[in-house]
Amino acid sequence: MDAQQLAAELRARSLSLFGRSLHVRTLDSGSCAVCESEIRLLAAPHYDLHRLGLFFTPAPRHADLLLVSGAAVRAMDLAVRKTYEATPDPKAVVAIGACALGGVYESDLFLHGAVDEVIPVDVYVPGCPPSPLALLQGLLVAIGRLEERVSTARFDLREERTA
Amino acid sequence: MSSWGDHRPDHGDQASDQSPTGGLLGAIDLLRGEIRGVSIKTIADGAVAVPLGASELEPVTRLLTSSGARPADLFAAPSQNGVTLRIVYADDHDATYLVTQNDVAGTEYPELSGLAPSLFIEECELFEQFGLLPAGSSPLNRVLMAPRGEADVPLVTGERSVAPREVRAPHFVAGEAIEFPFGPVRAAGSESLYMGLVTTGEEILDLYLFHWHKHRGVERRLRGLTPERALFFVERIEGLSAVANSIAYCRAVEVAAGTSAPPAAALTRAVALELERIYNHAAAIAALCQGTGLSVGQANAEIVLEELLRLNLDAFGHRYLFDVVALGGVRRAPHHAAVRARLARLCGELRRVVDALLSTNSFVDRLEACGTVSLDDARRLALVGPVARASGAGVDCRRDHPWSPFDVVAPAMPVEGRGDALARIDVFVAEIEDSRRLIEELIGDAGDGLTVVAAAGGEGLGWAESSRGESLAWVQVDRHGRIQWARVRPASVRNWRAFDDAARAQNVFTDIPIIEASFGLTVAGFAR
Repeated sequence: MDAQQLAAELRARSLSLFGRSLHVRTLDSGSCAVCESEIRLLAAPHYDLHRLGLFFTPAPRHADLLLVSGAAVRAMDLAVRKTYEATPDPKAVVAIGACALGGVYESDLFLHGAVDEVIPVDVYVPGCPPSPLALLQGLLVAIGRLEERVSTARFDLREERTA
Repeated sequence: MSSWGDHRPDHGDQASDQSPTGGLLGAIDLLRGEIRGVSIKTIADGAVAVPLGASELEPVTRLLTSSGARPADLFAAPSQNGVTLRIVYADDHDATYLVTQNDVAGTEYPELSGLAPSLFIEECELFEQFGLLPAGSSPLNRVLMAPRGEADVPLVTGERSVAPREVRAPHFVAGEAIEFPFGPVRAAGSESLYMGLVTTGEEILDLYLFHWHKHRGVERRLRGLTPERALFFVERIEGLSAVANSIAYCRAVEVAAGTSAPPAAALTRAVALELERIYNHAAAIAALCQGTGLSVGQANAEIVLEELLRLNLDAFGHRYLFDVVALGGVRRAPHHAAVRARLARLCGELRRVVDALLSTNSFVDRLEACGTVSLDDARRLALVGPVARASGAGVDCRRDHPWSPFDVVAPAMPVEGRGDALARIDVFVAEIEDSRRLIEELIGDAGDGLTVVAAAGGEGLGWAESSRGESLAWVQVDRHGRIQWARVRPASVRNWRAFDDAARAQNVFTDIPIIEASFGLTVAGFAR
């Protein structure tokens, strides 16, 4: 899928699902600062997340998606869990970069070595660092997971009403 | 207003009548009242190690700090006799690094931060990692190890760590002031960092930082690895300075193995180093626009930044220049013509963005007198890189401790005097231009090539000027060719030290992102 197709699909699906208002919270669990640099560039003109109906939010309570980088340092456990719990359901977690996926550090006294040791992860984006296009692709997959969850959530709601 | 270089003798003249390691060693000899013994060891071209007796540590520290040597690093390494303490001094006038080493008996050593205030962070680290305490010192801050109570991490020596002391130096918040906790999770694309802001509502009265959320224990992890394997982690200590840190580390390992990179590879390393500087400075300019709320300026700077990263990708195969520097040389060499043409165009575009910014009053007003670092502070805290140079302290290890090719193609080293965020952006801009010139002059002969680095035991010191300042690495390789201990000290370790002082001085909350962007540091580099 090239960049144009990727953008078109993202735009269409974020429109149908969230009325062009999908909010992303980023979380650094102990990265080398390069994943953060690529995340910042997602909002830069070459990729321009906002035109696709995706936005960064400074509050987990407003977020639909968590974008987690870094090697899951144990000192960040509390902050990572609190951020996860503060994000309302339905939510999806995207782990980005080799550290977050478990490809760099083995678990030791300082770190877990993979984000899914701390919180459940839905989508894994490999790369050291993953390029902004890879991140967009990851976000698209995550939206797919959210679609499933939103449809089940609506179904559950209907069940409760009829019951 | 910019002056080029500060008051210092031109060391080109000195080199002819003095041995390259003359100054500081001579001073130590004078103190000892004897001619230097055979124990002095060369640990790099332009670096020597001097073993000191226990009683000598304090007088020698006093002597060297008062004779103008810059205390660049303090660290410990496990050795046969327990723990060895090392202090790295830089004699910037004499192109020399001098490393003193002491075996520490027991858990105490003389307090050094009283003599060299810049070494305070390292004293805290020594306590956390090795359980060593400076004698009779005031409380230490927690810098790397998170307080974890029962599950505390043991010391490097394997012993149980001492119960956590103060989380930070005791301070008192009273009256109208409140303590406002911020972080560690911050805005999109910011690294995790905890800031404790003491404020009456707007003005920052006091500020303290916790970096430990990102401490990954990389130095401990390097122990016992082969130097090649360790390089993988060294690059990921601070990815935005991957080239500088890995050049420093590789040079240290090469010295330990008694070899060096071929000249063409050294040139390619320099090209990669300058490309890294340009993209980091462009990112700092974009972040300054974000901090001042100028989205057009930010977008324009980010367009150039993205193009610079794509240039890195095309020239070296990686957007952030990972895996370029290798032990004994480089793995990749750039396509010369493409780099030269695109770089000239991009630097020209960046120049236009900056010219527009610097003629925008709302931008300049926010930067002026914001986050000021005085020359005294820059010297006292032994700051490095653009932060030091913007305060008038002309330190640049490419110029002061040159390795080939910087001995031939010398950097201009722009220096400003005001020490505020505006002075730092001026330094960034001048350095981008200078790095472009360096690359143009260097790239003609750059090539790839690797010399074989034998798995021999030894000790070495390496350094490189990253976009944030001097990166240092010290390596001890055992006789099996494994790393016995490696110390990697990115420039961020030095310069975060000045951040709280800079943020305190008459600034308000909204100045913090501007100050942070103008410092251009990473948390990852500090916390390792």
